[in-house]
Amino acid sequence: MSGMKPIHINVLLAFLLALTVWHAFRKTDPPASQLRLVFQAEANGQKLVFDQFHYKNPNGPGQFRVQNFRFYISNIKLSGEDGTYLEPDSYHLVRFGAGNESFAVELNNIPLRSYSGLSFSIGIDEQANASIEPRGDLDPNSQMAWNWEVGYKFVVFEGSLILDDAILPLVYHLGFDENRRDLQFSLPAEEQLSSTSAKNFKVDVMELFSGASAFNMAQTQSVKFDRQDARRLAENYAGMISIAGN
Amino acid sequence: MARQRWIATAAAVVAIGTGASYVIRALPPDPTPVADFSAPFVFGRFSVPQDNPLTEEAFALGRRLFYDPALSGGNDRSCATCHIQRLAFTDGLPTAAGLNGESLEFSSMSLVNLLWGQERFFWDGRALSLEQQALLPIENPQEMAQDLEELVRELKGSRQYRRMFRQAYGEVSSENIARALATFMRMLISAGSKYDRFLRGEAVLTEQEELGRKLFMAHPDTKVSLRGGNCIDCHSQFLTSGFRDGLDGFSNNGLDKDVDLPAGLMAVTGNPAHKGFFKVPTLRNIAVTAPYMHDGRLQTLEDVMDHYNGGVVVSPTLSPLILEADNAASPPGSFVGLRLTDSEKAAIIAFLHTLTDEAFLSDARFSNPLEGEL
Repeated sequence: MSGMKPIHINVLLAFLLALTVWHAFRKTDPPASQLRLVFQAEANGQKLVFDQFHYKNPNGPGQFRVQNFRFYISNIKLSGEDGTYLEPDSYHLVRFGAGNESFAVELNNIPLRSYSGLSFSIGIDEQANASIEPRGDLDPNSQMAWNWEVGYKFVVFEGSLILDDAILPLVYHLGFDENRRDLQFSLPAEEQLSSTSAKNFKVDVMELFSGASAFNMAQTQSVKFDRQDARRLAENYAGMISIAGN
Repeated sequence: MARQRWIATAAAVVAIGTGASYVIRALPPDPTPVADFSAPFVFGRFSVPQDNPLTEEAFALGRRLFYDPALSGGNDRSCATCHIQRLAFTDGLPTAAGLNGESLEFSSMSLVNLLWGQERFFWDGRALSLEQQALLPIENPQEMAQDLEELVRELKGSRQYRRMFRQAYGEVSSENIARALATFMRMLISAGSKYDRFLRGEAVLTEQEELGRKLFMAHPDTKVSLRGGNCIDCHSQFLTSGFRDGLDGFSNNGLDKDVDLPAGLMAVTGNPAHKGFFKVPTLRNIAVTAPYMHDGRLQTLEDVMDHYNGGVVVSPTLSPLILEADNAASPPGSFVGLRLTDSEKAAIIAFLHTLTDEAFLSDARFSNPLEGEL
């Protein structure tokens, strides 16, 4: 050290200074952020009640109850000032039940500081729908699978209708590639992402029957493979999810 | 001086070496992970508890415990008394026989492919793991009537069990008895039925079996002229067991009127919407596990088909999928059922026979290890 010439020390100092400056101005990796998408099941603006004949058939006679209500969302994408983020293996089964009227999908390690756009699909893409590979919440041995020759149900609603003292089953199993609906949500302003950020959504089950087209469950008690009926309900469920005030 | 230091060092090395070798000899070698463990891709994901990995030593211990009458209070019955391998680990009785010859509440369940399907055990789902499940029949006063502390004492008295427990886990304890039995049950994997071979492209189904398979896999929809047996609404397509997710693997399949409906899953969850819900069983080896249902009330597969075809009893918690499934557009009568033809029913039964795995039913690895010792 004692033998080091001053010129060398100057070079070293200059190098350290440059390193410090570069370090200070360098774009640092944003902290790994989390976003919870919280879905609240509702009917008529209230928390959804399961298993009780609580609701009036919105477009016909009878009272109905909800016994099962769930759906796939997929390919969640966030976009913001510093880029876009596409969640890998993004297949989530959003499911509700008595006592579980809200369901959270957690996105972890998002490499963005903020986001102002959010999109996902109700249903799954064609490639995943034709596969038996378990990815995300896709499981060919689950209730959501029809069978490997048909694919997955995207939206499941099961319940019953009381009409003239008779209990009638309500079975709406909605799938097929053409019934995937891509939803886009634009936020009024850029929202910061942190390790605790969350976004709340309302899922209004009544929209299935009173959305784009009025659907009388007394008249059509089940929809499964009839393409026209399924398409009608898909048009309706396309509008069942909306951003709730935080 | 230098020489003394050398001697002291050498003495220390010898002492440490001797001590270490003593410790190493006292510690059992690490258990051997199960090496040739494989399962069909189509069975999907499974999980093994972190504190009970699958090892050869645990399997060997669990197998021996499963067949050992020492596990019962009277040393007269083992797990295998009610779970007989050639009957796919059922007992052929409507409901299990109690210690005093009495008929117990439930039918002995088949033990197969337990790594997949529901993560709750027993017909009413009261056990949340196989470890939890394994001890309950041992302690049940009507089943094996054994005190666990007494059992641990007995097993500690056996040189062979002390060795087997040491190799698998360490000490003899009720927790480790449960772990070993759970490991044995997890390894009861059946993937060699004709249906499995069909899925792998190694076998061809007959025309009748193929019709049965199609009906099995379809929910009927008269609007598009799709006929179906509706089996898949509860029995998953590859495993043929109930679904894994949450409580999806439990259902009321229309056996009783509301007044006669047993509590089932409601006894566990306290939720009246679960009244009469029972665990959807696997259909693997179903042709050798008669009689059927949680209380063994149906004698044959024909009886089972007749139940779903026209004998479904309506109650408030009956599965809406069963209530709705009908192959006739406007039901001619007043009964609830599938309204399949006789040949369609026979086809589904023919398909169910393709789920029998003869190799599993006679696999020596799952047989009684004590037989050769006597």
